[in-house]
Amino acid sequence: MQTSLDIQYIFELFPYLLKYLSVTMGMAIWGFVLALIFSVTIAIIRVFKITVLAQLCALFISFFRGTPLLVQLFLLYYGLPRFFPIFEGLDAFTAAVIGLSLHFSAYMAESIRAAIMGVDKSQMEACLSIGMTRSQAMRRIILPQASRVATPSLMNYFIDMIKSTSLAFTLGVTEIMAVSQMEAASSFKFFESFLAVAFIYWAVVVFFTRIQYLLERYLNRAY
Amino acid sequence: MIKVTNLTKKFAENAVLKGIDFEVSLGEIVVIIGPSGTGKSTLLRCLNYLETPTSGCIEIGGIKVDSRSATRTQINKLRKQSSFVFQNYSLFANKTALQNVAEGLITVWKMPKPQALQLAKDKLIQVGLRDKLDQYPSQLSGGQQQRVGIARAMVAKGEVILFDEPTSALDPEWVDEVLAVMKTLAKQQQTMIVVTHEMQFAREVADRVIFMEGGYIVEQGTPQQIFENPQHKRTQAFVKRALKY
Repeated sequence: MQTSLDIQYIFELFPYLLKYLSVTMGMAIWGFVLALIFSVTIAIIRVFKITVLAQLCALFISFFRGTPLLVQLFLLYYGLPRFFPIFEGLDAFTAAVIGLSLHFSAYMAESIRAAIMGVDKSQMEACLSIGMTRSQAMRRIILPQASRVATPSLMNYFIDMIKSTSLAFTLGVTEIMAVSQMEAASSFKFFESFLAVAFIYWAVVVFFTRIQYLLERYLNRAY
Repeated sequence: MIKVTNLTKKFAENAVLKGIDFEVSLGEIVVIIGPSGTGKSTLLRCLNYLETPTSGCIEIGGIKVDSRSATRTQINKLRKQSSFVFQNYSLFANKTALQNVAEGLITVWKMPKPQALQLAKDKLIQVGLRDKLDQYPSQLSGGQQQRVGIARAMVAKGEVILFDEPTSALDPEWVDEVLAVMKTLAKQQQTMIVVTHEMQFAREVADRVIFMEGGYIVEQGTPQQIFENPQHKRTQAFVKRALKY
């Protein structure tokens, strides 16, 4: 039984784990881009209260907020192919990206909706008064203003998503969590392995927190 | 030409407009006066379809919309016939003064961007904002913002500009500069409908004054008729009070 912390082992592990960081970040970035597209669409449908679609979106949000991400990933990867053969060719990476994006879009849609509702209604009236259509107003005036309000919380979701990609190892995606798990299992240095991966997550999150700060400062200039 | 027929507006059970009929001809300057809460602003907002009338017909520049059968396309066409100057300016917060004025030209009228910006610049110079082109609304005073609002309404190619209490939210020191811009517009024969409490402006500039109360047009006539020789008791009382200040 080894009791002292093998610091050297941790440092040896870093470069090895970092090789797989691209997989982790790939899932997070793809997942976030998709989640943005989904959530903006859902938010607009809910703001305009488009019949049927708005109810479907409400159901979607209820389900994806009401069940754990892990359960959703399992349903998507292990469950769906049985009933929908189209999902059989789905690889674990793609399944994780889809699962993450659906899950996070449910939360992000509510943030974006709140941000849109927060734009003063006089802005929409001003658009209409000069002959713009509602969708032109959305694109040119309302969404740009809402994005400024929504950015801090969306960045928080992105950071949360980076950490949530660690669940993808349960689907068999070889990302940093999976690699550290395998290393731990072969070396029996569990604490060191997980400490190493924890530091990597932490460093990445600190990096993006800095980006968030700069982005907010940029968005808050002038007006 | 503008023609409003039997226009009514109810908010829930509260009837704000109870049957409004009037016409405005091209180049005419009409000022609507009356106590607060009598439907003046609602009437103006209905003309721009910012409020949907409960019933009635609105015709501006050959586009006729009956509220009962109005389609989205018709409403959009009607809106393009008028532009609106808001009490609280309502400038696009994420756009500079120049972009505020050019926005409609680019988005609605599909004018090439350099041309739109040039025209916007000309209008802003006309309203005396040559050195404020690239400022955001939050960097401008109330009077400057409202002048941008007027410039934005001027380029909208509509037949009429609707002014909804354009000076009510302004500090007294900024009122005159906004009224001066409106007077210039009036001299250029721009058709205007103005809701205001500025009686002096109404007297000097209006071709016709409409007195509204309780959801009805009570009386209308030349400024002289309304201010010096009002026929209706309600008008007499209002004018007497209003001219005291």
